Amino acid sequence: MAEIAEASNLSFVLNKPFDVKFEQKPKPSIESPHDVLVAINYTGICGSDVHYWVEGRIGSFVVDSPMVLGHESAGTIVAVGSAVKTLKAGDRVAIEPGKPCRYCTPCLAGHYNLCDDMRFAATPPYDGTLTGFWTSPEDFCYKLPEHVTLQEGALVEPLAVAVHIVKQAEIKPGHTVVVMGAGPVGLLCCAVAKAYGASKVVSVDIQPARLEFAASFAATHTFTPERVSAEENAARLLKEAGIVGGADAVIDASGAEPSIQTSIHVVRRGGVYVQGGMGKPDINFPIMALCVKEVTAKGSFRYSSGDYKLAVEFLSSGKVDVKRLITGTVKFEDAEQAFKDVRAGKGIKVLIAGPNEKSCRCIGGH
Amino acid sequence: MLSATENNRSFVLHSVQNVSFEDRPVPPLRNDHEVRVHVAQTGICGSDVHYWQRGRIGDFVLKSPIVLGHESAGTVVEIGDAVHNLKVGDRVAIEPGTPCRYCDYCRSGAYNLCADTIFAATPPWDGTLSKYYSVASDYCYKLPDHMTFEEGAMVEPTAVAVQVTKVADVKAGQTVVVFGSGPIGVLCQAVCKAYGASKVIGVDISDSRLEFAKTYGADGVFKPSKPADGADPVASSEATAQEIKKQFGLGEGADVVLECTGAEPCIQAGVFVAKKGGTYVQTGMGKENVVFPITTACIRALNIKGSIRYTAGCYPQAVDLIASGKIDVKRLITNRFTFEDAEKAFELVKQGKESVIKVIIEGVK
Repeated sequence: MAEIAEASNLSFVLNKPFDVKFEQKPKPSIESPHDVLVAINYTGICGSDVHYWVEGRIGSFVVDSPMVLGHESAGTIVAVGSAVKTLKAGDRVAIEPGKPCRYCTPCLAGHYNLCDDMRFAATPPYDGTLTGFWTSPEDFCYKLPEHVTLQEGALVEPLAVAVHIVKQAEIKPGHTVVVMGAGPVGLLCCAVAKAYGASKVVSVDIQPARLEFAASFAATHTFTPERVSAEENAARLLKEAGIVGGADAVIDASGAEPSIQTSIHVVRRGGVYVQGGMGKPDINFPIMALCVKEVTAKGSFRYSSGDYKLAVEFLSSGKVDVKRLITGTVKFEDAEQAFKDVRAGKGIKVLIAGPNEKSCRCIGGH
Repeated sequence: MLSATENNRSFVLHSVQNVSFEDRPVPPLRNDHEVRVHVAQTGICGSDVHYWQRGRIGDFVLKSPIVLGHESAGTVVEIGDAVHNLKVGDRVAIEPGTPCRYCDYCRSGAYNLCADTIFAATPPWDGTLSKYYSVASDYCYKLPDHMTFEEGAMVEPTAVAVQVTKVADVKAGQTVVVFGSGPIGVLCQAVCKAYGASKVIGVDISDSRLEFAKTYGADGVFKPSKPADGADPVASSEATAQEIKKQFGLGEGADVVLECTGAEPCIQAGVFVAKKGGTYVQTGMGKENVVFPITTACIRALNIKGSIRYTAGCYPQAVDLIASGKIDVKRLITNRFTFEDAEKAFELVKQGKESVIKVIIEGVK
């Protein structure tokens, strides 16, 4: 079992692109009676963390001043506020890293992922979770069942992203689903779609190794696109997967323009297309096909009410197995190397142990 | 700010049927997100009268004195440090139920179902029949300059009607039968028309309520006949439904039924008057348990839903419906009282006269 031995609040800080440092920051404290204080055990690296490290910005979010990276974490509760009812010190939790205001219209309407004043870990200017300790409202920490490890707990965040995407896609039992992109989110979308009862789940990627993994993980079919038109790729995909008339739901977890174009030709008339992946902000889009086929296209952003809970439930019941996605765990001090490895496309999901995490088994890394 | 002699005169329910005026402390802001409102007008609701007369509604039991009232509008006189949507001097309608914001219901947008809601004049919480009332700023909605405080006090029941139609998912071109033509019933009728319903029928047992409804939002009105002595009640309700369908050319049924009475015969008739696959929404409250045509509901694949209070967007919608002139709430205000005559106002509502629709009480000046 992992132990929290010290009270180090060593943090992995991004100053500007490729300029990171380790810094002891003041240990955060409980500010509100609803808060808990969590010692971070493990943090996964996301493409967005890497993007900030490389580019120093995503869209209008610019790293103007030093910022702690990381947001996919699991930890152990060390203290609780006076109004906390369901958690106590020692509880192991998956952490939902975005704190909404609870007052704006989107919050009151139940779409807190769209909060006007969201404070999201490692989205400037807010510090992330690659640190020793993290303050969270009680309702944004989810207790892990005994049989779920803290390493799996760090995968709850991307799994919750996949849950949110699949809900947006309105996937129902018996549906045929196509997922563009076999990175961690794409793979998890396949797994969640299956858990929702999809009869066919087609995973699409240009990397053979990723597709091989997808087939062994959750996809019923795989597809490698060629450098032909979107319509041609779509036609061949549907033929090879034995899907007549188009897929009920198509999810893009790649952000790649050709994949997005192909998606609209893969989805059936009246079907649902969900944009989960992020690539070029503006692309060439088959608008006419969307129109005449009456496709419902929706965006999907992070997660909102019920998604984390369902993600933990999927882990608990074994319906989704995330352990296979963890291809490496490194010590906190090796965080920068882990970022380099992720950027180089090594492995699927790399975890960084928290600075107080003594007894993690560190495999792979570099 | 406050002078040393500032008072907060309040209309307090001490125990069943026992009310009086009291000088209460001026309510402080509970946190940085709150505002204090100088209440200008308050409407009376059946629930206020029920607490006064019976001391309980369901699990909510009067155990200690509470200030009454929850349908109010007023002027903002103080704002907390974190308040950005309002400034001192703004005229607002007050949404009287503030939820916890932390539970699963709140987080999923169903804050009307929050178990820890602080609701004005639901025991143990004080209501708005005080000079001042403190409330979360995001639960106060600015009134356009041309809207009066009296109209502002009518926003609450209008918001109830907006929620009912939201739950019923009323769409343009649909046919709607509304059981009950009291304040909520006629507001539901008016909101349905505003949403483009093609035919709205108001039902009541009172001739004068129906006469009003006909001039308000209903396209047609209906008064059920009394069942014959010894007749089977459910069969009588079914006959009522058939009569409504026939008289108003509803074919095999209405798209939507809004039940705003809570009366057993209306509930039954409502199930029978809905078309196959239609929607039935229960918002009226009467007997807790009624004889319900469950097999009919099953065979005709009805969508049956409950509606309680309001959710995100209802208050802004209600303000807009009134401000734009789509709904004229002034016509519903039939009686006005000064603050010192509050008890008389309650007595009047209690009498249940047909000619009385909405009674409002002016705030403490």
